[in-house]
Amino acid sequence: MNADLVLFWVPAAIAVFSTALVITRKNASRALVYLVISLLAVAVVFFVLGAPFAAALEVVVYAGAIVVLFLFVVMMLNLGRSSVLREGGWLRPNMWVLPGILAFVLLIVMFHVFAGTQAKTAGTEVPPSAVGRALFGPYLLAVELAGFLLLAALVGAYHLGRRYLEERRAVVEGTGEGVDAGGDGGR
Amino acid sequence: MTLLQAQALLPYFVLSGGIALLLVLVAWLRSEIVAFAGALLVLFAALFALPTAFEAGAQVVDGIVRVDGFALFFFGLFALAAAVTAILAFRYLPARAAHRQEFYILLAIATLGAAVTASAVNFAGFMLGLEVLSVSLYVMVAYPEDAKPPLEAAAKYLVLSGAASSTILFGMALIYLVTGTLAFAYDGAEIARNDRAILVLGQALLLAGVFFKLSLVPFHMWTPDVYQGAPAPVTGFVATVSKGAVFAVLLRYALDADLFHSATAGSMVVLIGVLSMIGGNVLALLQTNIKRLLAYSSIAHMGYLLIALLVAGAPDGNRDLGVETALVYLVGYFAMTLAAFGVVTALSRTVEDAEELGAYTGLLWRQPVLAAVLVAAALSLAGIPLTVGFIVKFYVVAAGVEGAAWTLVWALIVGSAIGVYYYLRIVFAVIKRPTPDVAATRTAWEGVLATAALGVAMVALGVHPTPLLELLKAMLGGG
Repeated sequence: MNADLVLFWVPAAIAVFSTALVITRKNASRALVYLVISLLAVAVVFFVLGAPFAAALEVVVYAGAIVVLFLFVVMMLNLGRSSVLREGGWLRPNMWVLPGILAFVLLIVMFHVFAGTQAKTAGTEVPPSAVGRALFGPYLLAVELAGFLLLAALVGAYHLGRRYLEERRAVVEGTGEGVDAGGDGGR
Repeated sequence: MTLLQAQALLPYFVLSGGIALLLVLVAWLRSEIVAFAGALLVLFAALFALPTAFEAGAQVVDGIVRVDGFALFFFGLFALAAAVTAILAFRYLPARAAHRQEFYILLAIATLGAAVTASAVNFAGFMLGLEVLSVSLYVMVAYPEDAKPPLEAAAKYLVLSGAASSTILFGMALIYLVTGTLAFAYDGAEIARNDRAILVLGQALLLAGVFFKLSLVPFHMWTPDVYQGAPAPVTGFVATVSKGAVFAVLLRYALDADLFHSATAGSMVVLIGVLSMIGGNVLALLQTNIKRLLAYSSIAHMGYLLIALLVAGAPDGNRDLGVETALVYLVGYFAMTLAAFGVVTALSRTVEDAEELGAYTGLLWRQPVLAAVLVAAALSLAGIPLTVGFIVKFYVVAAGVEGAAWTLVWALIVGSAIGVYYYLRIVFAVIKRPTPDVAATRTAWEGVLATAALGVAMVALGVHPTPLLELLKAMLGGG
């Protein structure tokens, strides 16, 4: 097998393996750690295939922003002494050894990619400027459409989120009825 | 982008610009009536831009969309269906949601997504249009604020539809791997022999995802639950616009990519078609919930529609006849389905929808107009003469005979025969003498008017379909 192909197969196998672990873990934060590994592995795959920009976006948007969001949720939900104890448990070796090994393997792959004369296994390298030119050239309509996709998602999230905000406000003000309205009347 | 291309895209610009304006207006005024009237205005403005766009001729813009008679016809159909949905929702939503402005914005965005999907000629346009449509639909299904069933239906729809989307995406990736282009059309001669297997696999995945969105057997499991849980006007919208858009893009893809060049895809579609026609009708037999009944009925109707797809796409087939049949069928299907869900909507005055067949007993003596429309819709769905349902079914059978799709034609005959039973159950329930304790229900005049218009359209098109057919021929000939 070609050495370049190893550069593809190793991160690809790690991506599949860690994704399988994500959906089988019972502990949400443990699953999250494997999710990060899976996203990083996909980023390496992108990089190896000659799409460094997509790889960077994968890390920034998915492994970065989305995990930070998750962190916010964990921070908002778990307050108090019990959560401190629980977080102590998260520092046990079985929590981080395997993800650490996987991440280390990915790092080695990245080093190989950088050290090797060939930075990719297939296709041509697509630099960020080419992506930008494509997006605002032939794919301008697609970008506009993506804007409407986000608009629909935003309007939708606003509407769906509001019901919980109002329920919460009602509970805080002491006028909350049950959550299970819907049998009679409406508003 | 040339001026001619811009002219062809005018309805899309009007609709998308209108959505942006509407958003600003609603953010500023926070008024339901402004949102409702604004959405209707935007939809009709887009409709009025259609003839101008048609004059520009068939225009491919950036390889993403091809705006021709086919695409513009669907644009008009979707805009009309959205307008009907808006009118139905106007009196339906107040009992269920305290904030209703966003609904009309989402409706307009969904229409834009459907219109783009129907005009797509490459996978980028296909996927983006489909997602714009789907994301708006998830929220529209979950729109009522207090009730649980819509939320449950939306969650199911979100997960299953997302799975279908990713199947489609994976299929697209495999096809791209072989053809090297995102466009539907590709040069078949350049594909190496061993790559053909990957191409067929990709197309099979793509078709599976699309059939899922069209809720054909065996990908139909989500349909009754989502139809039942969703608010009635939204159910009508999902059943018509969403499926119409997906079918339009499927037809485009089948023609551009010469999908039925290989016998595999053809036999797959035949199998799915037979299963859907028989399965949909058999499953509908014992339903007492009218929304679930219509869900199964829509499965069968999508199965009938596959005949048109197969005839249009067959290598030696009647391309024009097939496309024309599909479009005629969809017009009829839109009218019947919207009318049926319109009646359900108009009768659903409380938080609970009027779902059970029992709620329709003796409707004729309480709500003669709505009852007449429901009877017309049921007869039309069954394909009884003098309704549009007969004309479109006749068209499909004629196309099937012409294209020698005998298996499917036989399945259609058997399926329709089974179907008559449950459609007539609706009719019998409606005309039954009522028991005296059933209170008269009050309904909104807008909804009654809209459904009555649909009912008149159904019968008028059934008696005198020539104008529709001529319009269709003119639009397809020009594109």
